[in-house]
This record gives sequence, structure tokens and C-alpha cells, in this order.
Amino acid sequence: MVPAGSSSGVPRPASVVPWLLPAAGTALCATVAAAVASASARGLVAWCGVVATAAVALVAAEAARRGRMVAVLRDRLAEQEATLNARLAQQRADTLWLADVLLPEAVGRIQRGEFPEDVIRAVAANQQGRGDPESNAVNLKVVRTVLEAVSAEEDMRDSAQRAFVNIARRVQAIVHQQARGLREMEDRHGNDPEVFGDLLRLDHGTALIGRLADSIAVLGGARPGRQWSKAVPLFSCLRGAMSRILDYQRVELHSVSEIAIVGPTVEPLIHALSELLDNATRYSPPETKVHLTAVEVQAGIAVEIEDGGVSLSEEARARAERMLAQAQAGIDLNDLGETPRLGLAVVGRLSQAYGFQVSLRPSAYGGVRAVLIVPQEHLTTAAAHGRAHGIGAVSVTRQDASAPKISIPRPITGLSPRRAMPPSTMDDDVPVVTERTANGLPQRRRRAPVPPPRTRSVSAPAATNPAADTSDQGKEPPGMWLAAFQSAVSGDPPASAPVHDNSDESLDKGE
Amino acid sequence: MSGSDQQKDEQEWNEGDPERLYVITKGRSGSTEKAAIDLVTLIVSRSGPTSGMQPEHAAIVRLCQSPLSVAEISAYLHLPVSVVSVLVADLLADERVEARAMVPPAQLPDAALIEAVMHGLQKL
Repeated sequence: MVPAGSSSGVPRPASVVPWLLPAAGTALCATVAAAVASASARGLVAWCGVVATAAVALVAAEAARRGRMVAVLRDRLAEQEATLNARLAQQRADTLWLADVLLPEAVGRIQRGEFPEDVIRAVAANQQGRGDPESNAVNLKVVRTVLEAVSAEEDMRDSAQRAFVNIARRVQAIVHQQARGLREMEDRHGNDPEVFGDLLRLDHGTALIGRLADSIAVLGGARPGRQWSKAVPLFSCLRGAMSRILDYQRVELHSVSEIAIVGPTVEPLIHALSELLDNATRYSPPETKVHLTAVEVQAGIAVEIEDGGVSLSEEARARAERMLAQAQAGIDLNDLGETPRLGLAVVGRLSQAYGFQVSLRPSAYGGVRAVLIVPQEHLTTAAAHGRAHGIGAVSVTRQDASAPKISIPRPITGLSPRRAMPPSTMDDDVPVVTERTANGLPQRRRRAPVPPPRTRSVSAPAATNPAADTSDQGKEPPGMWLAAFQSAVSGDPPASAPVHDNSDESLDKGE
Repeated sequence: MSGSDQQKDEQEWNEGDPERLYVITKGRSGSTEKAAIDLVTLIVSRSGPTSGMQPEHAAIVRLCQSPLSVAEISAYLHLPVSVVSVLVADLLADERVEARAMVPPAQLPDAALIEAVMHGLQKL
């Protein structure tokens, strides 16, 4: 502010002099006129001269005063203008800071999941010692309003996602139950091909629904459906992926390396692969095959899906890969309506969560070749769960003393307690077959073929304790009835007591 | 939900296999193979399993080093009979296994004779 009295109080001599000149001139003129005028008019002239001089002096003085006032005011104005300009610049800087730094940072923190109150406190602390308090308060108010709006929006999206996931979970639960029921029915009606075929179709449809529910759950940011506590062979995973697509009959499964996937990764891998397989079968002509292979690479396992469909132009490929990348960054449920290939979004999400690398390339067959690399840390070579489809998990397995012991960390008998097994087999310490196929299937093996018409008790476990033996009597292993039947037919004497003991061993020795 | 319930649920959730039966049979239900193979048909493999085989095929070939009936195979592999019939039919087509018919029932002694013997024994 301009100090009020500083410039107006002290008259400056330099500026006073010019204003005295007219008065002096008028006085001089009056004096000359009085001297020149005749004696009779002199008095009057002198009088007029004095009055004129006085008037001019008065006017001059007033003019001088006003001049000084103008100068003071101009100074003051200039000073005010400078101050205002400075404030304006400051204001602009503040606004820019708000727009460029403060708001983006605050919104970013909200989106990373911090509470609005914390963020506002941090913003206020950030503002300390910057700009004037008034504009700081205003900025803070702006930030608060924006943050509230953003967090309300985020909350809404979160709850929408949760609702999606919740519904998907329920569908998954129902589908799972249905699948189990169907499996039981398939076992029960296995003798009737007509019913069995219908059951298979139903089973397939249920699996498709399950995949959809899994996709919704994944897009909602949750895990895909089921959890597997044990490692599962890669071959089973690939067939699991096949079983969840519509056109599984077109998928040609080629040789697969003998390796297992650790439990937590099984479901994501199956789901990602089934989405890729679905894309491959959907976007290729119905009469073509889709080739599915898995090979070991340095980084882990590369699963390749190759179709003979329409080729992917460079542009389309870039778009698909961009979609994968976007999905990895997180996908907005609102955008899904515009995404034609939902599957890729799911694959991207899963790859991001589990470290799979997915790439789409033109295939030699003219179609698309999708490669999914499972990193090494998700693989295990330990004898997995060991069944492509439950084979041998329950059938009595036996360890031939001479059979090559392929690394089996645990006795097979303990592997699947959840199946209904006779207790005697559970306790059985002498495992009965055990050899494993390339795909980890436990297998029983004889040293040599047994002549057909003989009493065979193929699976009687060599009991080690009498208790197990007696409990075994009630539960004849499958095939016993047939053996008895056969021996009766062929007229052999009925197999006596040792049948349950070690007839198999004796047979083995006999050969 | 109590802890044990949850555990039970989890266990149920955990059980099962990733692959479904229709993938194993490639969608066939065995209705066409029914005529050739029934529960008591004996299956013997002609050669050992080869590396490129589907695991179930390989399992059947291994099991049938000595003759086994379809019912037995089904029980060992824990697969429904229809699935086994389809798989066995595949193997038959590839000539990897042979099917042997059961001993014809005509060789059984006459039921009337058995009855007569029974009665005779009871009278003793």
C-alpha cells in the first residue's frame, strides 16, 4: 500500500517553480501596464493587475497542488499494479501446481486405495509454507471435493465388482456341485451308453457355464474358481482346459512333457488355456484342427496353441496384444461391452497375476499361434497327484520288488483319502503295483502274462496283518467274482484260503 | 459356518479332476461300440504301450498284459464301463488288443441235472 503522507507532505521545489512563472508573468505585465498607463487610469490598472496576479497565482497554486496529487496517485497506481501482478502470478502458479501436482497425486493415492482423509491430510502438509493461506484453503477445498467424488466412484466400482464376483462364486459353487453329481451319475449309468452319452453332453454344458462364471470372477479381480491343493500333471491340465471349451473334439493334443503344475497355479493355467483354446476354435473354420502342445523351454514350459483359421494381420495382432497388455494393467468392467474378445482380457488378467507370458504370432498353418509360457517356479517334477483322470488312484497299486522304483515321494495308498476306499487298503503297507507311465499314471504290471483260465485274484493285497486280512474278506476286489466264475466254468477246484493272501505273488514267482 | 463345516466344504471343493470324461472319450458315449464289447469280454493286449498313446489307452494296454474283462478294467481305472468300451474299441481298431469271447454258457451242466444232484444229496 502506498504510504499516504510520504509524497504529498513534502513539496518539491523543482515542481513548484514552473507553477510560479504565470503568476510572476502576470505581476510583471500588471506592473508594466500600470507604468505605461496614464496617471488617471493607473490606479485602476494597478488594481486590476493586482487582482489578475492574485487570480493567476491562485490558479497556479491550485494547478500545482493538483499536479502533485496526480503524481502521487500515479505512483500509488503503479505500486498497486505491481502488487496485483505479483499476486496474479502467484495465483497462477498455485493453480498450475494444483492441476499438475496436487490433484493428480491425490487422485492417484485414492486410486491406490488410501483413505480420503489421509490423502487430504498429506495434501495440507504438502501445502505448508507455500503460497498464501487463503488460496491454500481454497485449493484444499477443491482437492477435497474432487477426492470425495473420486472415492465415491471407486467405492461404487468396487462394490459392483464385488457383486459380480459374489454372483460368479455362487454360480461356480452350483456348477461344481452339478459336475460332481454328474460324475457320480456317469459312474452309475456307465453301463447304459444312451444315458451315458446324454450325461456327457450335460457335463460338457455345465463345464462351459463354469468357465463363464470363472471369467466373470477373474474380471472382477478374484481368483478363478477352484483350488487345487496338490500338484496336477500338465497333461491333465491341458485336458482340463480342453474340457471347458465347446469344440474340444477339434483340439489335437500332442505329446506333452512329463511335468506337473503346482496346485495354486493349476486353475489359473487351465482357465487361461481354455480361453486361448476357445479363441482358437472359435476363430478358425469348423473343419480344421487346433494343435495343442507343450514343450520345455529355458524359462519353464511353453504351451502352444496353433489354429488353421484366419490369419491375424499385423494390425489385429497388435490390437490383441495391446488388449492383453491393457488387461494386465487392470480392466474396467464398464469397458467390457466394447471388448469383442473377452477371453483375451481374462488371459491378460491371469498372466499378470501368475506371471505367464502370452504372445500371439501368425502360425505356419496360416492361423494364429498362441504361446503361453508358465514360469519355472510354477512347475514341479515331483510325482503329482498322479492320474489323468483318477486312474489308479483307487485301484490297488502294488510295488513289485523288482520293478524300477521311479521316484515316488509318498506311498500311493495315502494319496487320495477322499475317495471311498476300504479301510484295509488304506492301511495296507504293501503297495501293490507301482510303476508310473509317462504321464504319472500308476500302473500295475505283471512280470509275464498269466495263462488265462486260472484262478486269479488280481488285486488281493498281500495282507501283512491278520486284521487287514479278515476285513478284506468282506470286500472282494473287483474281478474276484469273475475269477471265481471262470474257475467254476473251467472246472478248476475252487480257490481256497490262500487266494486272499498272496496268490498273486505265487503266480509272479511261478512265471 | 463352523470351522469343521468349512473344512469339509473346502475338501469337497478340492476334490475331483480337471478333466471330464467326455474329453477322454473325445465325445463318444460308446453306443456304437456296444455290440462288439460287453462287460465280460476278455481283453488281451498284443503289444506293450507306446509313448504317443493317450494315458488311458496305455493304461489299458498295460493292464491287459494278461486277459482282463471290460468290467475289471473299468473297476481298476475307475472309469465307467462305457468309457472303457470306447477306449477298448479304439485299441481294437488299432489292433493293439484282442477281444476274446467268454466261454459259451452251453458248456454249463444242465440246471435240471444240478437240481437232481442237489435233491439227491439232500435225501442222503
